[in-house]
Order: sequence, then structure tokens, then C-alpha cells
Amino acid sequence: MGAAKSQLTDQQLQDYQDLTYFTKKEVLYAYQKFEALSTKNSSIRTLEEMKNIPELKANPFGDRICKVFSSTQDGNCTFEDYLDMMSVFSDAAPKSVKAEHAFRIFDFDGDDMLGTADLRQVITALTKTREHSLTEEEIKQLIQYVLAEADLDDDGSLSFAEFEHIIEKSSDFSKTFRIHL
Amino acid sequence: MSSGERKKRVGNRSKGWEEAGAEFYQESYPGAACEVDIQQALERDPSKLATLLPSKKSRVDYHCTSNNIEIVTTTKRVGHEPRTTLRRRTSTRLRYSTTTRRQSTQPDANASMLPDLSENLTNEKKNWEDIMQIKALPICMEQKKALKRHLQNTTTIRLQGCEQFKFWCLQKWEGLKTFLHQVYSKMGLWNSSLKHIGGNFGMGVVAYFLFIKWILFLNLFLFSIIMIFLVLPTILLEFPADDSCITANGTCCSSTSVNSTRNFEIASLFHGGHLLENTVLFYGAYSSSTYYNEEKNLTYKLPLAYVFVMIAVFAVSLFAIVRWAAKGFKQRVVENEGQLYHYCNLIFGGWDYCINNKKAASTKHLALYKEMKALLAAERFEDERLNRTQEDSFKLCFIRIIVNISVVIILLLSGIGIYWIIRLSFEKVANQPLKMVYASIDAKTVELWFYEFVPYLAIVLLNMVIPVLFNYLITLENYSPTFVVKLTLFRTIFLRLASLIVLLYTFYMKIAQSKDNDDCNNSKKPLCWETFVGQQFMKLYMTDVVSQFFLTFTVNLIRASVARSTKNKVIRYIGRQEFDLSKHVLDIVYLQTVCWLGTFFSPGLPLIAVIGSFLLFYTKKFFCMIICGPSKRIYRASKSQSLFMLILLICYILTIVPVVYSLVKMTPSKSCGPFKGLESSWTLLVLTYQQLPAGLRSILSLFSTFSFAATAFLILSFLLYYYNAVASANKNMVQVLRNQLVLEGHDKQFLLERLSAFIKVHQEQTKYQQEHPEFP
Repeated sequence: MGAAKSQLTDQQLQDYQDLTYFTKKEVLYAYQKFEALSTKNSSIRTLEEMKNIPELKANPFGDRICKVFSSTQDGNCTFEDYLDMMSVFSDAAPKSVKAEHAFRIFDFDGDDMLGTADLRQVITALTKTREHSLTEEEIKQLIQYVLAEADLDDDGSLSFAEFEHIIEKSSDFSKTFRIHL
Repeated sequence: MSSGERKKRVGNRSKGWEEAGAEFYQESYPGAACEVDIQQALERDPSKLATLLPSKKSRVDYHCTSNNIEIVTTTKRVGHEPRTTLRRRTSTRLRYSTTTRRQSTQPDANASMLPDLSENLTNEKKNWEDIMQIKALPICMEQKKALKRHLQNTTTIRLQGCEQFKFWCLQKWEGLKTFLHQVYSKMGLWNSSLKHIGGNFGMGVVAYFLFIKWILFLNLFLFSIIMIFLVLPTILLEFPADDSCITANGTCCSSTSVNSTRNFEIASLFHGGHLLENTVLFYGAYSSSTYYNEEKNLTYKLPLAYVFVMIAVFAVSLFAIVRWAAKGFKQRVVENEGQLYHYCNLIFGGWDYCINNKKAASTKHLALYKEMKALLAAERFEDERLNRTQEDSFKLCFIRIIVNISVVIILLLSGIGIYWIIRLSFEKVANQPLKMVYASIDAKTVELWFYEFVPYLAIVLLNMVIPVLFNYLITLENYSPTFVVKLTLFRTIFLRLASLIVLLYTFYMKIAQSKDNDDCNNSKKPLCWETFVGQQFMKLYMTDVVSQFFLTFTVNLIRASVARSTKNKVIRYIGRQEFDLSKHVLDIVYLQTVCWLGTFFSPGLPLIAVIGSFLLFYTKKFFCMIICGPSKRIYRASKSQSLFMLILLICYILTIVPVVYSLVKMTPSKSCGPFKGLESSWTLLVLTYQQLPAGLRSILSLFSTFSFAATAFLILSFLLYYYNAVASANKNMVQVLRNQLVLEGHDKQFLLERLSAFIKVHQEQTKYQQEHPEFP
């Protein structure tokens, strides 16, 4: 912990405490964890190194999460990006913040809408493994049901407002959308 | 009318349209950037118009924001302006962003993000709140920092007087909260265990372990109340000896009681037998007298304290359950409105982000796959159900009736069985002269031990075997999967409660059978029946915990390891175990029920329960992590939590009945305990009430009058009516707004279509005009 302290100034710690959902202690802990991700002496962790976090490795959206939080958009993360990520996934972060980022994660093509293609990608990522996958017909059906449930203005894709509306109603979401530091 | 003319007219009209449109845009979104944006986009592709809608588009342009920050803070920013999707912001979330947005009309500047400084200076408090809100913004840390600097550097109005103090308090309060959070996270019991479980089984199972933790803390709290108000006074204060003999046939009851219980036995440590009988663990040890210290002018009425502590224990439990259940209930209400969100929930909230290993991940994939398949199948099942023929439905109905009848019969049979075994056991044990019983360990002693524990073993055994039977029976009934879980749960609860009810009834018969007053030396009735009952509950509790511990670490472990090592399908089938959440919930709820039932008779039981739940946590963790594979079923965290609380609440209400009955109706034993010589424990409260000063008494009696009760009832029902009306009005409003949203969506699409069609025509026309300049 002493080593970690020497890397972060008090000012930085105060900033991080104010700007994330972490306390100073947790920030220091996060710093240690971040340092442990790579053996190289660099301030940036590549996508591969980020995926040493077991939760991201197991997650079907792992790559996507790294990309969303990376400030260079390519999955390479600085400590601040990492801290941002963990802050959003922490217990203390409110639902709306989590929803905001979940939307960005699910929005694969980045057009600010969850279209059919995005939904297809989400469903495939969730269910496809080596042994089994849903048939094309089933995926189509699922997408159709999802849109029927959530697409209020019938434009064939989910806007953020519609997405937030669903998340507001789903109590599971904020419980499952978290990674412990 | 020639085609040229028509086109011209269209063109004229279109010009008018365009102007109007531009005006409209200028009015609502002044600023050149916006317009240029739109025109460019229109030129590129008219059909992409939809993406330009304010609702679809950012309110705040990301790079604009950062540019502005750049200006403000003059920090160096590298040119990696991410062209992101990150432009949209939730307007509702940030208080200040909405308020400032209203003030500002500049869409290109980030005025909506930063408070408009020129118009009104923010005060200190608001500024501070703004800084605290930054963390909720979906921007990267660098920008957050810049924003913070910016806000810190703005000139603010200092607050005056009371406001200043309030602000100071707020800041300190936030600091305290952070500190408490820090302390709490450090103290948090089992955090790493929970993380580990979550990584393998998901949040649904973690919710169960949190439930155990909750029970542990509840019991700890209950025990601390008992400790402070009952145990410590009994140990520390010297109560005057009970010489108030309630004589029966010339002998002193209390002395008989004390003399008969002075045997030392190791075995008694285990079942709360004779050694512990006179300790503070049980009712019998508490004095019926009043401590009075003249020097310090201190009086402590232990009997009164006893009653109040017991009331407090139940009140605290109720409060804790209701508080937790209310949270779940609120969620349920919100969810019920959106019960049609099955698919969305599954797809957007399906993955457990805390899963951290490959095996668990692949199980989760499989579970989600199955769940989606099941949902699709349920859709088909529903269709089938609607198309079910009359003959089929009649057949099913018949089967269900038969199954239900057999369930009731099984419950009755097991109740009778328990009753019979308990009677047998009591007779065997009671026939033995007291002193001989624990003299030495020989065949006879072992036999006696066996008889002493046989009822509890029988209950535990029934609780294990019959649920399996129920599980089989329910497959015949062809219910939907979620309903199956609930129904099995409730049937099993009835089994457990039935055994408890039989036990209570047997006790009651034993205690109430000899109503004659001189029952000091009554051989049929224990000397101090409260202690006796307390002992029985403690035995029951311990038997259950120990048997679970034992079963997990021997039988189940062997089963699992055999199943893993063999390739034989039959053995594998027998040996493989899944973590069946509902069964384990019942284990915990049942134990807590026993604890509540026994607390009055054995104030030490919550302490035992604390130890028990601590042990159970590890037992269950072992069972979950080592013995079971990851469950193939998906347990929803929020749903299971509210279900636990509902079950606990039901058990609590059922527990209240016998406890209150024993408090109000049963005559306390005459040889021991704080209430000896009284008609019932309740009489003490009545007596105390009569000793109160007249003023206080009249106030209290006011509460019990009819007019007060009637008024209170009326007011409560009015309140209920009022809130009900508000709720239904809100519901209507939600519906109306929803409809409006849908309609507006349609309107918007309609307008967009018209607009894009019109723009196309317009473009074609300009092209035509350019190609044929001779036509004006």
C-alpha cells in the first residue's frame, strides 16, 4: 500500500474520491489491482491485459466494456479509465449511471440507438457457446418480443429513453450490473 | 395545369415550408451550428433525418464540451477527440443540468453542462452539490477533473447565517457518511465469501447468503437487548433471595426446584439439560424480585423488564422484517406494472457481471439459453393451454384434486406421527427417576438419550423425506415452472409448521393437564415448565443445526464425491446435487421460527441462533461451493429476496399466536421464574399499570377508550382511502402519458416521412432547375 501511495498524490486521491463512487482507501486498492494487471512498467493496460480481470474475461461483453470505458476508444485503459469503469460497476453507483453505461455497452454500432443489429449481437453474445446456439428463427422472435415490449414509438429500435424506462422497471439490473473491486 | 407550373407551385410552397422550418429551428435551437448540421445531413441523406431529432441526438455535444473546458481551464488536451456515441445525456438525472438548460439556449456551447455564470452566480452550496454530481456524468476522468477545477474556480456567493450553517452540516454529514461507509466496508462480514459465491452462482444465490447474514445480525441485535436488560442485571445486581415461598402442601416450591437440579453432566451441555437449567439461558433463572439500592436510589424490577424485553424482541423483529419487505414490495409494485418486460429483463439484465470464471460463465450461458428457450416455449404453452380440449382440462383438474388431497393426507399423517412419537418419548423419559438418569453411561442411559432426542430426529427426518415426495407429486400437476417453485415452497412450509404446531400442542397438553394448584411435586408436570419448554426448543434448534452440519459434511459429501468419480449413470443421477434455493431458505426460516418461539422461555436462544447462523453460513457455503455444481436454474435476486421475507413474515405472524397466548393465558410455574405466583405474565403489566400515577393512567386509559379507537380507525381508513386514490390516479396518469408517448412517436414518424419526401422533391427540383436554367 505504501508503494501505491507514493504514486498517487493527495490531490489526486481527493479528486478521485470526489469524482467516483469510491473512498480514498478503495481508490488505493483499485490502484494496486490496476498495477497488478500488467508486468510491464507502463501506465496503459492493453485490451488483453485488461482482460486479466476475471470478471471481464468471463463476460461476453468484456471487449465492449473495455472499449466503452477506454478514453481512446480502442480498449486500452489508463488507470483513470479503469477507475471510471469500476466506479460505474460499484455498489454505490445509482441505477441511472449504470443504465447510461449499459446502453453504451449494448450499442455496438455506436449510433445511439439499440437497433435490431445491436439486439442480435447482445442475444448472440449471451447465449452462443460452442455446444449450442439459438436458431435464426428464435433470435428473430426474441428481438421481435423485445421490441414489442420496449419500443414505445414503434420505430424499430430502442432509444436511450426507452432503454432507461425498462431499466427503471427492472430491479435485477442494478443488482447484477456490478463488479466488486 | 402543366407539369412545369405544378413544379413551380410546389417549389414556391416548398420555399415557404423551408423558411418556416428554418424559423422553427431558429426559434427552438438558435445557433448556426445546429442549422448547418441539419442542412449537411439533409444533403447527405434525407432518410437519416430521424437521427437529427433532439430526442435521439445529444443535448450536449461531447467534443463541444471538452473544447469549452479546454478554453476555460486552458489545460492541454491532446487531439484524440473521441467521436463517440457519448453525446446523449440523461437530462433528468442531474438537477443542475436541467435547471441550467432552461436558462440557456445555446446548444453548441455546453451551457447545459456548466452553470451559466454571467446570468446568476451560483452560491457555495449549489456549487458544491454540482461538484458532487460530476461523478454521475458519463465522461472520462480527465474531463471530470477539468470540470471540477472549473467549478472550483468559479466565483461563488458565500452563504450567510443559517444557510451557511446548514451547508456546513451537509458537508460534515457527507463526510461522516463516507467515513461510516469506509468503516462498514471494513467490517463487512464474509465479503470475500460473498464475492466468491457471486462469481460462481450469481446474485440470486448471493441474496440467500445475505439473508443468512441478515438473520445473524437480527439475532445478534435481539440478544444484545436481552443481554443489556436481563442478563447483565441478573449477574451484576444482587437481587434479594426469593424467600417468598408459594407453599403447596407445606413444601416450598422454589427450594424443591433448586434442589432437584444440581447434577453435573457433560451431555447436558449439548441438549440444555439439567446443568444449564438454572443458568441465565433459561427462564427459570430470572428473579421475581425487585432490586433496590438505597444509596444510589436505583430500582430495577426484573419481571417488568422481562415482559418489556420480550415485547421489544418481537417488535424489533417485526420492524426489521417489514422494513426489508417494504423495500421488496415497492420493487414488486414497480415491476408488476412492467410485468411484460420478461424479455427485456432477460436480455439486458440477464448477465451477472460479477461472474468471474469460465465454468460459471458457461453455466450462465447455458442457463440463459435455456431460459430464453423456455420463454419461447411458454409462449407456445400458453397457446396450447388456450386450445386445450375439455377432456384434457378435466383430466388435469382431476389429477390436481387427487394430488392436493394426498398432500393434505401426508401432512396430517406426519402430524399424527410426530404427536405419537413425542408422547412416547415423554413417557419413557418421565418414567425414569431423575437422579438415576445421568448417573453413568450404560445401555440404559444411551436408550434414554435416544428417547429424549427421537422426536426431534423424527421431525428432521420428515422434513427431509417428505419434500422429495412433494417434488415428485408436483410434476404430475403440470403447472408453469415459476408456480411450481412457489407451491412446493408453501407445501413444505406447512409441513414444517405442522410439526411445530404438534410439538406446541403436546407441550400444552403436558403443562395444562394438571390444573390443580398444588403441583409442586407433580410428577407429570415439570417443576418449572417454562424452562422445560425452553429446553425443548433449544434441543430442537441444536438438533436441526447439527444434523444439517453432519449431513452436509458426511452424507452429501460422500454422495457428491461418489457421483464425481463414477461413470455409472444411475449412481451419478443419485449423487448429483443441485443447490435448491427454496429448500435452503426453508431451513433458515424454520430455525428462525423456532428461535422466536423459544425466546420467551429461553432468553439465551438468540445467542444460540447467532452461533447457529454463523455455522450455517459456512455449512451452506460448503454445500454450495463444493458439493453442488452451479445451478441450472436462474434465480432472480430481487424476486427471491422478497419471497424470503414474505415467508419469514408468515412464520413470524404464526409464531406470535402461541407466544401471546402463553404470555396472557398460561399460568406461570410457581417454583421459578420472574412471574411466579402470578395469574399470568400479563397480570404483571396490569398491576404495574395500576401503580402508575393517576395522570399518566388517565392518559393511557384514554388510548383504550372506544372513542379514541374509533377515531383512530376512521383516520387510518381515510388515510388509506386517500393514498389508494392517489395511487390509482397516478396509475391512470401513467397510462395516459404512455399513450401520449406512443401517439407522439407515431406523429413524429408521420411528420418525418412527410418531411423527407418533401425534401427529396425539393432536391430533385433544384437539380432540375440547375439543369434547365431556361425555366424560371
